[in-house]
Amino acid sequence: MLAFHAVSRELLRDALLYLAVVLVLGTAANVLPGRGLAWWGQGKQPPQTGVDFAWLDAASVEALRAALPKVTIIDTRPPSEFAANHVEGALSLPYTEASARLTPALLQRLQGSDAVILYGSSPEADTEQLLAQELRLLGVAPPHILIGALEAWVANGLPVAQGGTP
Amino acid sequence: MSRRRNPWLHRALGLLLGGVFLYAAHEKVLDPRPLVTIIWNYRILPPGPVNLMAIYMPWLELVVGLGLITGYKRRAAAGWASALLLAFMFALLVNAVRGVNVACGCFSTSATQTNNAWLLVLRDLPMLAAALWMLVFPPKKQPTRSRA
Repeated sequence: MLAFHAVSRELLRDALLYLAVVLVLGTAANVLPGRGLAWWGQGKQPPQTGVDFAWLDAASVEALRAALPKVTIIDTRPPSEFAANHVEGALSLPYTEASARLTPALLQRLQGSDAVILYGSSPEADTEQLLAQELRLLGVAPPHILIGALEAWVANGLPVAQGGTP
Repeated sequence: MSRRRNPWLHRALGLLLGGVFLYAAHEKVLDPRPLVTIIWNYRILPPGPVNLMAIYMPWLELVVGLGLITGYKRRAAAGWASALLLAFMFALLVNAVRGVNVACGCFSTSATQTNNAWLLVLRDLPMLAAALWMLVFPPKKQPTRSRA
């Protein structure tokens, strides 16, 4: 019985050591610039199709841009990827830097746009969905998300550009 | 020595299960944000702690995976692995009973890849067995030889 207690105590101590390491690493990683998640959920629903955003294919995005005067296309990828290749006329607004880059002037521009289209590098568009929800909550009309991400745009032979943040 | 306490068996199980945990953790550690949506979609936790779980759970998977592979306090790592697997299985079972096939977030952070929840529970069972084995039947410590 004594031996059992000794082993249990050792196991508990080791388990707590693991927990301490996890708390230190997780906290350190989450305070890294450009990475932080809110510590406590804000009670938001996950982004929903038809409420926070709508999907749009590459050809329709190009048609929309030709038909409407004020269409804003936003690239959510890191600036280095944006500089290498992006949709012609797109703005760079990486999700992790959105709070810093979303100036009142830019927000006003987005609120006044006929359509806002978001794209990134992943067809899953998790990041774009989160950004779309945030923009909608800031008063922007529910943005569209490019189906198939930048890859689909390029595959359709639509215009791209290179260079830094416009 | 009892076969079930064979240290080589523990090393092998540790390598296998640790590898699975490391693979499961890598994408979530790099970017935990999509995990928030996945955890939310299980509809088990209230909104508040969802973020805390998305922040710390990938690191727990990573540290436990490393512990199982390296053997550093392997029994404690196996204890955490068992707890994690039981929690995952509980969440999957709740949704299986509800008839919802959730995106499990097991090895990717894609919120659109849904799987049959019952199959996911079955897949977790051998991993839970391995973790419990390492927890319940630790290898016997070798007696230290006296030089005197």
